[in-house]
Amino acid sequence: MRLELQGVSHRYGDERAVEEVSLGVEAGELVGLLGPSGCGKTTLVQAIAGHVRPTAGRVLLRGEDVTDDPPETRSVGVVFQRSTLFPHMTVRENVAYGLTRQGTDRITACLDLVALDEQRAAYPAELSGGQRRRAELARALAPRPDILLLDEPLSALDRTLRDRLRDEIARIQRETGVTTLFVTHDQTDAMALADRLVILEAGRIAGVDRPRELYHSPPTRFVASFLGRSNSLTATVVGVDPPAVALGDTRVTTPELSGTEDLEPGATVTCHVRPEHIVLSNTGGATPADTGFPDSLRNAEEKLLTLAGEVTRVTDVGHHYDVTVQSETGTALLVETATAPPPPGASVTLGVARDSLTVFD
Amino acid sequence: MNWTRDSRSGYSLERLLPVLLGGLVLVYFAVPFLAFFTRTGVDGVVSGLSTPEARRAIRNSLLTAPVSTAVATLLGVPLGYLLARSSFRGKRLVEAVVVLPLVVPPLVGGTMILTAVGRFTPVGSAAYSVGVPLTDSLVGVVLAQTFVAAPFVIVTARAGFGAVDERLEQASRSLGHGPLATFWHVSLPLAGRAILAGVVLTFARAIGEFGATRIVAYTPQTAPTRIGVEYRRAGIDAVVPLALALLVVTLVVLMTVLRLGQTPGVDPP
Repeated sequence: MRLELQGVSHRYGDERAVEEVSLGVEAGELVGLLGPSGCGKTTLVQAIAGHVRPTAGRVLLRGEDVTDDPPETRSVGVVFQRSTLFPHMTVRENVAYGLTRQGTDRITACLDLVALDEQRAAYPAELSGGQRRRAELARALAPRPDILLLDEPLSALDRTLRDRLRDEIARIQRETGVTTLFVTHDQTDAMALADRLVILEAGRIAGVDRPRELYHSPPTRFVASFLGRSNSLTATVVGVDPPAVALGDTRVTTPELSGTEDLEPGATVTCHVRPEHIVLSNTGGATPADTGFPDSLRNAEEKLLTLAGEVTRVTDVGHHYDVTVQSETGTALLVETATAPPPPGASVTLGVARDSLTVFD
Repeated sequence: MNWTRDSRSGYSLERLLPVLLGGLVLVYFAVPFLAFFTRTGVDGVVSGLSTPEARRAIRNSLLTAPVSTAVATLLGVPLGYLLARSSFRGKRLVEAVVVLPLVVPPLVGGTMILTAVGRFTPVGSAAYSVGVPLTDSLVGVVLAQTFVAAPFVIVTARAGFGAVDERLEQASRSLGHGPLATFWHVSLPLAGRAILAGVVLTFARAIGEFGATRIVAYTPQTAPTRIGVEYRRAGIDAVVPLALALLVVTLVVLMTVLRLGQTPGVDPP
């Protein structure tokens, strides 16, 4: 294991920033640390880099406990959220700063890696936002760190530049093979880059897995709502074996009631469903047989949750439509559809296949 | 009369007000200067500066003020860094002590030094016995000048270090440099302009110091103490040559320091 955190907690005075975080990063892996602002991501980065001494727990690098070691002995490269290029040094001097011997070859190789060789004599103030980020990457990589920490490196950039630099980070990581922890609050960046994702909620780990697994089988309600867009519905347990829930007048068996083994019939649960997993029908029919749903879902009442509702808003976002539907249960649901939806005011029926439902207690 | 912005002429109250107020201050500074320095012609200045006492006084000022500035900088810059970067018990008290010499009148500051290191105090007599008198000596002048002038470099260095993004220092540490190397390569150059401003102020204050110096070291005379003696002996005209020399020396030193202290990448070329 290249990096390991064992029960790391940190408090700023009475304020809890990170609580009992344990995670490991294998050599060559690119792990995304994802969470909303203020969830403790930067504190974790600071603890790994050695700029913050955690209140409790241990930080291990290459199997050695480095919790009490100063940053300069850790061999951890850091790219911070805001530019930390030294303004009084040229790009070349910045890249050379972390090298014990002023090896021209290494400097050139690093500048070539980020395509900045022509700007080597420029001062940071003369660079564009993207060039500055690339120069920082080169500087962090020059001493060949054992692990590279990228703390929201894309957050200050505009969308186009952000996408381009994200691809570049992926390429550089592939080429150098450096073990990387990529910290972000942007799920698109995290999903696109990471081999594995660690989701942080209020200083605690809410889920660790490959991005696709986390997206399709979120382990907690928070992960379901934070990772991608999600609709939340309140339902009642009506059966345990097989598990079934009722929503309004519809009863539907569910694949499993994760974490809800102890629930008795009559208990209230929360169902999550992605907007792209809701099928929209504009006939206003009440059952699958008369709503125009796909054949696979017809005559499958136990497998399909249907809800009547009224379209309240339609937004054309280019490659699909976002449709907001006020359902009969009183909950507003977001539906993603590729075909032109009915206009606001139209009565519709929503269908959710039972496999698309994730149920939390 | 219309006081709003006039797009045709470009003149408006908003633009004129700072110019008028600033101009008033400049006039208030410049008129006494001109009135003072036009009292004596070139011949008067040359003859005034040709006396051995005047030359000795200028030499003493040129010897002591740079030493005082160097001592204040050497001791004050690390203190400024500490105050900018650390939180510790008693920090407020330290801050109060730093500005104390600015608050007390220089004469009082001088008497304070005298009570601490005067000839008949333990420290003063010990130093005297090994041949380093702390009063009525060039060392005494340096003590007085440092006491009065050092707060300038401490306060400005603190502000300078405070303005340096702490993440830059963290980046330096993560790139393998320890705290001292980080201070030397990153913090110090980036706070350089503020520190330089502090050094300039400290030097200007030290070379012009009179009140505390008069108490601690009436002799050997520096330019300001000589000016004091001359003023009492022969009036205003007698002080013009020395004052002019003091002004020229100070300006030359300050311009040189400012020119040497430009930081590439931070200062415009």
